[in-house]
Amino acid sequence: MRYPTPLLTLIRALSRLPGIGPKSAQRLAFHLFNRPTEEVLALARALEEAKTGLARCPRCAHVMATDEAACAVCTDPARDTALLCVVEQPADVLAIERSGEYAGRYHVLHGALSPMHGVGPDELTIALLLERLDGVTEVVLATSTTVEGEATALFLAQRLRTLGVRVTRIAYGLPVGGDLEYADEVTLGRAMTHRRDL
Amino acid sequence: MPRYTVSDALVLRRSPLPSGDVVLTLLSEHGKWRAVARKGRLPGGNLARLSLFHDVTVQAYRRRDDDLAVLTQVRLNGALSGLTRPEAYPYAHVLAELTDALTVDTHVGERLLAVVASGLRGIGSHDDPEAVALAYAWHVLELAGLAPQVGAAAARPATVGDSPAVPAGPVPASAEATDTVAAPVCDRCGALATRLAVDAGRMRCDDHGDHVRDVWLGEDGARSLALAVRGPLRAAVLAPPEDRKRAWRALQAYVREHVSEVRAVTALARESA
Repeated sequence: MRYPTPLLTLIRALSRLPGIGPKSAQRLAFHLFNRPTEEVLALARALEEAKTGLARCPRCAHVMATDEAACAVCTDPARDTALLCVVEQPADVLAIERSGEYAGRYHVLHGALSPMHGVGPDELTIALLLERLDGVTEVVLATSTTVEGEATALFLAQRLRTLGVRVTRIAYGLPVGGDLEYADEVTLGRAMTHRRDL
Repeated sequence: MPRYTVSDALVLRRSPLPSGDVVLTLLSEHGKWRAVARKGRLPGGNLARLSLFHDVTVQAYRRRDDDLAVLTQVRLNGALSGLTRPEAYPYAHVLAELTDALTVDTHVGERLLAVVASGLRGIGSHDDPEAVALAYAWHVLELAGLAPQVGAAAARPATVGDSPAVPAGPVPASAEATDTVAAPVCDRCGALATRLAVDAGRMRCDDHGDHVRDVWLGEDGARSLALAVRGPLRAAVLAPPEDRKRAWRALQAYVREHVSEVRAVTALARESA
């Protein structure tokens, strides 16, 4: 049996989303069909507004509303302007903010170096980062601890050191509350390498 | 086929999914295969062991032959931390992506795993990772049966098809030298090939090449390529082409024609342009 065209179109559109396969897309499509019209239209409006109402901050490339000049972090006068934390994705900013341990500003790269995926230095916001180092005394590289994130951090460190900025990397180690015997050998090895005095 | 299998493998590619799972492309002695590491992005899982380029032993579960395997256990055999250095990182991607592209339809097997693992170790530890990457890239092409024709035939007349009977290409320093040193041969006349036809990925001598468009390898570049194809690889790494820019452009033109677009190679060729 062929599905009606609008339903097929919706299933195809949903299955293009990351993590949504054809079966999940079909389930979501039928779910939306069974919801009240106003609820579905509200969702459609939210999608449209999110797309048209959001942009990258011209200073740090974090997410901001299009009717603002810069993002909430860049315009916050209480932030330490001498400290800059470089992250891969906007979601990483939120994760660090939740920790409550950092009061500087951010820079979002929007990815990590991965030549096999066609991501080189020009595809990231590295040029923008190098332009905004006036008054910055320390750059904290908080890219992921994957091979890609590590390579990006080393690449940035090489560039930033030539500009005379102090470059630091977030610490590696064991998750708080975890047992040593269950830690994997890579994490444990890094924790030993980067041990500190007490 | 048993539902649980254990194999040694190299992580060639990782694709994290929003759900926290990671889809991995692995190269083992049985060839290339894909598997999913459930919640592989979350701390406490196997995420550190399943990093890119890691040498691992994995246990995989498959209910049916056509299912995507689910990794149930992972043991790390070797992590190559040197590959994250900016001097080495792009070259590790070249080898991994080229291997991934070459093994779409072919089954190269155990030998390829050993060569790629050796290449990644070399790129991670050698003083000249670029030379290692170039040599191993041509060598994996040879393992897949796609490398240029290499022989000591530069001074020998060609006898096939409508090729000229007498090679009119560059005259080697001595006939003895061409008999003892392997060299890529012109696809048309069998003379020493010093050019790579950009639009066809063919090896050409100076007479049959397009002097305007082709990548000119030069004699040292051609011989280095031949060493990489024929081996020993150590000799190829120790005698890299002098002009690396030309070497990357040639590799890009060849790979694009005979395999597919390999983005890591294209990026290096673009930088060299």
